[in-house]
Amino acid sequence: MINDFEQAGNCNSNLYFDNAATSWPKPEAVYKAPEIQMRQGCGNPGRSGHTRTLEADRLVYRAREAVAGLFRVADPSRIIFALNATDALNIALKGCLGKGDHVLYTSMEHNSVLRPLGTLRRDGVITTTLIPCSETGFPDLDFLEEAYRADTRLLVINHASNVTGTIAPLQKMIQSAHRRGVMVLLDAAQTAGTIEIDTGALELDLLAFTGHKGLLGPTGTGGLYVKKGLNLKPLREGGTGSQSEIDLHPESMPERLEAGTLNNAGLAGLIEGLAFIEQTGIAAIREHEVEIRAYLYQQLQAISGIRLYGPADPGSASCIVSFTLDNTDCGEIGYILENNYGILCRTGLHCAPLAHKAIHTFPTGTVRLSPGYFTTRADIDYLTGALRDIAKLAAG
Amino acid sequence: MAESCYITFPTTYYAIRAESVLKTQPYSFKMIPVPRSISSSCGTAMRCHCEDLAAIREILLQNSLELEGFYRLEEIGLRVPEVEEIHFDQ
Ligand SMILES: Cc1ncc(COP(=O)(O)O)c(C=O)c1O
Repeated sequence: MINDFEQAGNCNSNLYFDNAATSWPKPEAVYKAPEIQMRQGCGNPGRSGHTRTLEADRLVYRAREAVAGLFRVADPSRIIFALNATDALNIALKGCLGKGDHVLYTSMEHNSVLRPLGTLRRDGVITTTLIPCSETGFPDLDFLEEAYRADTRLLVINHASNVTGTIAPLQKMIQSAHRRGVMVLLDAAQTAGTIEIDTGALELDLLAFTGHKGLLGPTGTGGLYVKKGLNLKPLREGGTGSQSEIDLHPESMPERLEAGTLNNAGLAGLIEGLAFIEQTGIAAIREHEVEIRAYLYQQLQAISGIRLYGPADPGSASCIVSFTLDNTDCGEIGYILENNYGILCRTGLHCAPLAHKAIHTFPTGTVRLSPGYFTTRADIDYLTGALRDIAKLAAG
Repeated sequence: MAESCYITFPTTYYAIRAESVLKTQPYSFKMIPVPRSISSSCGTAMRCHCEDLAAIREILLQNSLELEGFYRLEEIGLRVPEVEEIHFDQ
């Protein structure tokens, strides 16, 4: 057994299997750009007239264009920036739902969807129906077909589960909703930057993304795509640098849904993450992740006592594998992986309690391994070697 | 007397988008803080030669930009200039 305490919890370790929480490493330019932005681009976007402000405005515009490019959105004014996916999901849900609306959502949703919906339901604003998911995390499409009501306004879909990686059958679900005139909100927290999303072809209404996972950017960045013609009620109002004499928030996008100074330093980093994805090609990123996930899945399958969750087919999942080891506590496995092997992963419920109910791992959870574009086969070999040791110990 | 024309925008987003669209066009222009004698929603305006105004407006509209107003100002240094608002048919 390798007992490398030096490596434990050390961010220089290459043995990072928690990309579903936040991606690491980032492309070199992502680290550098925020510093350059803070040192040289000190203007507040939209607020003053000097050249630094203009530079800051240009930076925000470039970030918007880059995100629009990734999601194939023709009009960048439909992309608004927010703190992260959670913030974007709150803006979307609270901005589009009103008294009496009925909402459909799946078991795979994250707490960033479940909790805003829970509050709106508790306050008597909306009613909801949960679309159950299979043991591998796929939503029950027959159930969905029967779940629509005359007052159904929105279907929320988690593009890929952060527990099992399961990719939702987007096209079918969107078509089903649109046939009834129901809008679709996609939570792309786990897929933006690693799986192609063409908002135009999919005819998505709303898409929430976060900057610090697959987009390889800094934390504190994220946003929302809002389809043309859809006017959300702003969650926050305040300074925009425009129409200052009026005491109502501007209605024009993107300012409509952005109040206060944006995270310019973060957006500078996000631009570099997006540039890396564009240069590398999202198809190449996906290909690598499919291969790595297939290899990991296959290696884990061979270890006795390990139970795997989520689809066996790597083409049906993002780069995540969740497992449990018979008669062992998930948290304990995570602890040993870090302390004895320097391997970082996440254990427990992953902010998605209903997903764990669907796959029958509630309330104890799973060990979640989420490799990324920078993970190699050698990294997987080291990880699975460690898990073989642990499984042997557990079997006594 | 020297004069310039100004285009104003409803939001910063459109001001920067206008700049980005015009960068590849053969017109000289500059993004500047909106002169105090003009009222505008957004703090940044585009200054251009008055003889180019109609053509620039055309290009921006073709690119689905939202524009707010068009103005002609005398360039008289720090003194408050005469402002003429320019109206286009349609
Ligand atoms: C499916 C899903 N939705 C939403 C989020 C929230 O993302 P963030 O924490 O960046 O707001 C996450 C990740 O934490 C996620 O996995």
